[in-house]
Amino acid sequence: MGAYRAEDDYDYLFKVVLIGDSGVGKSNLLSRFTRNEFSLESKSTIGVEFATRSIRVDDKVVKAQIWDTAGQERYRAITSAYYRGAVGALLVYDVTRHVTFENVERWLKELRDHTDSNIVIMLVGNKADLRHLRAVQTEDATSFAEKEHTYFMETSALESLNVESAFTEVLTQIYQIVSRKALESGDDAAAVPKGQTINVDDVSAVKKGGCCSS
Amino acid sequence: MEKKRVDDGVTPRLDRFGFAKQEHNSPERLVRSKSAVEHQREERRLRKWRKMIGVGGSDWKHYVRRKPHVVKRRIRKGIPDCLRGLVWQLISGSRDLLLMNPGVYEQLVIYETSASELDIIRDISRTFPSHVFYQQRHGPGQRSLYNVLKAYSVYDREVGYVQGMGFVAGLLLLYMSEEDAFWLLVALLKGAVHAPMEGLYLEGLPLVQQYMFQFDHLMREYLPKIGEHFTEEMINPSMYASQWFITVFSYSFPFHLALRIWDVFLYEGVKIVFKVGLALLKYCHDDLVKLPFEKLIHYLRNFPDDAMNPDKLLPMAYSFKVSKQLEELKQEYEKINGKVAKSQVRQKQPQSAA
Repeated sequence: MGAYRAEDDYDYLFKVVLIGDSGVGKSNLLSRFTRNEFSLESKSTIGVEFATRSIRVDDKVVKAQIWDTAGQERYRAITSAYYRGAVGALLVYDVTRHVTFENVERWLKELRDHTDSNIVIMLVGNKADLRHLRAVQTEDATSFAEKEHTYFMETSALESLNVESAFTEVLTQIYQIVSRKALESGDDAAAVPKGQTINVDDVSAVKKGGCCSS
Repeated sequence: MEKKRVDDGVTPRLDRFGFAKQEHNSPERLVRSKSAVEHQREERRLRKWRKMIGVGGSDWKHYVRRKPHVVKRRIRKGIPDCLRGLVWQLISGSRDLLLMNPGVYEQLVIYETSASELDIIRDISRTFPSHVFYQQRHGPGQRSLYNVLKAYSVYDREVGYVQGMGFVAGLLLLYMSEEDAFWLLVALLKGAVHAPMEGLYLEGLPLVQQYMFQFDHLMREYLPKIGEHFTEEMINPSMYASQWFITVFSYSFPFHLALRIWDVFLYEGVKIVFKVGLALLKYCHDDLVKLPFEKLIHYLRNFPDDAMNPDKLLPMAYSFKVSKQLEELKQEYEKINGKVAKSQVRQKQPQSAA
């Protein structure tokens, strides 16, 4: 299960996963980023959901294929299959529930067990709009992120705060790794047939391109 | 689209089942206003059903033993809505469980505590959020739903509470009391009449995995073109069908269709879920073999309205014969799975990190 091809036009296709405890707001982050929608009455996610959005990085169109997974522990039996081939991850906790931050370490392990070592990970503290209910201090998350070498941002899907930045940052970082690797190895990633997952030194991503550039 | 209905301060318009009316998939378009003839037919149907059931269900068992095929045929046409709750309890075997276990439910709700309480609470407002019964915070709907789920998580601590159970319990509670809904849940998961379904929710979700395997093979046998196309597009059943099984179509399907499926599901067992799944794919065959990956994923979660018409979809579902293959595939799955499990154990031994 790698990344998949699509019809519309893009230069790169990156598979990104949204993980974290149940109820931290993964689905609303996804709907905010891909459709600019938020719902206070959303249903809990059963299994996996999926959405895409393309953004521009440098002069390239980067398309994100984002998998949103059920957060409950029991569901990992079927959701961890979706980690494979992911080149980016948003690991989400809820700033108003400390336990969801404590569990980040386990999610990180889960992620590192199932994905490439070069995966770009963004730690996301969601529900930052609920200021009076805050239970996780920004500094604690910052130092955790530094220690674990992940990126970090606080977001609010409800207020549309930093959602765009969080996804864009992940996609830009992936893009930079992939284009740097391509440059170093001296060949163009476009030599891979459209739609296949390629491995550019540990980072799998898809570059859509012609079949004749070698 | 944003903040729909949340802060407009007006009572939302409801459909005949109590759901806030949606832009699409509304049953109203499929259910025209009824003519006098249709009313009469419905009255006749109701009389037949009442006779079949007897007072409070007293004649039911006798009738089923004498004329199982009549019962099956009538159920496939849909149980009259006003009798649904009672009939569901009769055909699922839950009524017997209730009678055999007086006071047990109350004990579970009042005196026991569950490790899943917080998980349940977090999902209560995320279960049928557009239904009037479940909308009021801490209202009667939410409280009943909480009680049933908590009681079950105590009754069977190994299963506990798993997301998805809420939709099943939520659907039942629209047709019966808390205690009745609880025992129906027990009947289903412990297998009072059909094979137990607790494997859908147990650690590792073993039954979900088995059903996905079976569905994938059935689909390839009956709808080979779709199977081929899905392989090319790297679509597998866990991407679209796991919810169908985990919630028996109650999670995202139009309610009027879900109810008709549940009528048959409780009488005939889980094979109707396979059949309806196959029928959905068959009904949309020509679209499905054309679409690329992303559009497929979207389509498989948003079937066109006309595919959601039970009177079209269900006859198509009944035409699939799956019992024999399901049994064979189950054995095949167990064979493969046994081997896989063993080889994984061997590989993992040197690391033993977890």
